[in-house]
Amino acid sequence: MRPSPNQKGQKVKPDLRKDSKLRFVKNFFTYRSSSIFLVFIGLILFFTFFSQHRFTRHANIEVLLALGPEFSIVALGVGMLMISGEFDLSVGSILVFCSFIFIRLFEIKMNLFLAGGITLGAGALLGFLNGLITTKAHIPSFITTLGTMMLWRGMTLILSQGFTRPFNPEVVPLLSSILTGKIGGILPVQVVWFGVFGLILGVVLHFHKFGNWVYATGDNKEAARAMGINTDRVKTICFMIVGILCAFVAVMQIVRVSTFSSRAGDGWELKAIAASVVGGTSLMGGIGSMVGIFLGALTISVIENGLVVSRIPYFWTYIVFGLVIISSVVSSLYLERRKLRGG
Amino acid sequence: MTSSPAGGKEEKSLVKMAGVHKWFGKVHALKGVDFEVRHSEIVGLVGDNGAGKSTLIKVLSGYHLADKGEINFEGKRVNITSSLDARKLGIETVYQEQALAPNMSISRNIFMGRELVRSLGFMDKKAMDGGSMEALKSIGLHLRSPDALIAMLSGGERQGVAIARVLHFKAKLVILDEPTIALSVKEAQQVLEFIKQLRKEGISVVFITHNLYHVFPSADRFVVLTRGEKIADVEKKGTSIDELAELIVKPPSHN
Repeated sequence: MRPSPNQKGQKVKPDLRKDSKLRFVKNFFTYRSSSIFLVFIGLILFFTFFSQHRFTRHANIEVLLALGPEFSIVALGVGMLMISGEFDLSVGSILVFCSFIFIRLFEIKMNLFLAGGITLGAGALLGFLNGLITTKAHIPSFITTLGTMMLWRGMTLILSQGFTRPFNPEVVPLLSSILTGKIGGILPVQVVWFGVFGLILGVVLHFHKFGNWVYATGDNKEAARAMGINTDRVKTICFMIVGILCAFVAVMQIVRVSTFSSRAGDGWELKAIAASVVGGTSLMGGIGSMVGIFLGALTISVIENGLVVSRIPYFWTYIVFGLVIISSVVSSLYLERRKLRGG
Repeated sequence: MTSSPAGGKEEKSLVKMAGVHKWFGKVHALKGVDFEVRHSEIVGLVGDNGAGKSTLIKVLSGYHLADKGEINFEGKRVNITSSLDARKLGIETVYQEQALAPNMSISRNIFMGRELVRSLGFMDKKAMDGGSMEALKSIGLHLRSPDALIAMLSGGERQGVAIARVLHFKAKLVILDEPTIALSVKEAQQVLEFIKQLRKEGISVVFITHNLYHVFPSADRFVVLTRGEKIADVEKKGTSIDELAELIVKPPSHN
């Protein structure tokens, strides 16, 4: 029995070495996230030409790198949650509710670092509630978070009466430079935060045992349970990560715009799901990668920005979103089927 | 692989269940069943649908709690109240559909929930890959890479991965619930080879099935359940496929 696999191994290797370039291309396309990478590059080229190079102008890149990460950071968490097999439609509402908590703490003149900490705690708690209701009551998270989406948005509207409230970032300059400053006077620090969160979540998802539990929970919950993984806890932790990221972005956004607005985070829930799906995450859970989610989140930000600088009316945004979502999912499924067939 | 304990010499049986009763509301699913598995023995647990095979096995694997009766494992009275208890004793169950995550790699599946970690919970991929390939080899399954996804394997190979997993974690008793039900003839044959390999490693196997043709060549002994009662417990030497088939469909006689 033993020699046969060895012979096979020897036979296969030289064949592949002959055309190592081809192999690289072939391997590249076996990753689900490769199609999103191509879409991403394509979009950047498209916008560069169609905006008559306004897209690549320094001022625009700076805006893109400062604004884009706010949504993109939330999308990272949503993507990880989707791998565990759940949805979160309440991200925008968690964000706005956390914004309100932060502005209230600012108004009562609390130390802003402490206020920020409390806001993060509140985000974690709201995420925990989503997880608790979903796992203990056995309700699909689509429904749970549809409910909490309306609940927290409504609560914020009642408490704030829908008015905007001023925030003064100059009270604690350190906080604003940590969250919205520019490294070397050029690079917006937001994009660094995006990179850091992406890296942390990526390492956890792909190299830590918790990441293995996330995939197992999303891929085959019964198998994960039979192997002793507490799938309810895994899901709840994922919900909490989303909540914490929403709270973080809530603070970041208030510091940037110096205002509380009850419309913060409006419409982000579907955009975040779109970003994950475009990045190759399965709606059924169990499939996806942090690289894909990261690129998917960037893609959504680039589309929004690129259309504006290309002077294409804003209403076209959704049409482009729709086309990108459908085409990237179709292409990644096509690549995957070829992979499964080819062995 | 399993070290046969010193006490095992006097106590021939690995597991001994005695007088097990289980009710589901008004349904009397197990009516005082005695069930025994000896060391390095393959027991075919056969019976029609609703005969109580799965219930009996779920009591043994900690999924259900017996209403009456006792379980002895390696000569000691044990209380199995959860699947974790069962696993700690060395009783592993392989279910047909629940065993593996299709979009994860072989090595991630084998170590699912019991990942080998270095520090701070980060996985030791090298050790996991090596352990997986070794476990697969020991049941005679040669796969190219521990990174291959389960979805890319054949049905027989998937069962092989699930069986290699219980072998790696040094189970003493492996319960296979319909391991050949969705497989082609060739794949089923492959799975039966894996099962024989388990016995060679000193592991006892309970093989639950409808298909007498699959279980007959590989099992040492057969236990037939009908309507929650054990109606036969025979060595292979003393019976034939036809006789077993008759027993399965015959209603229990009370004499």
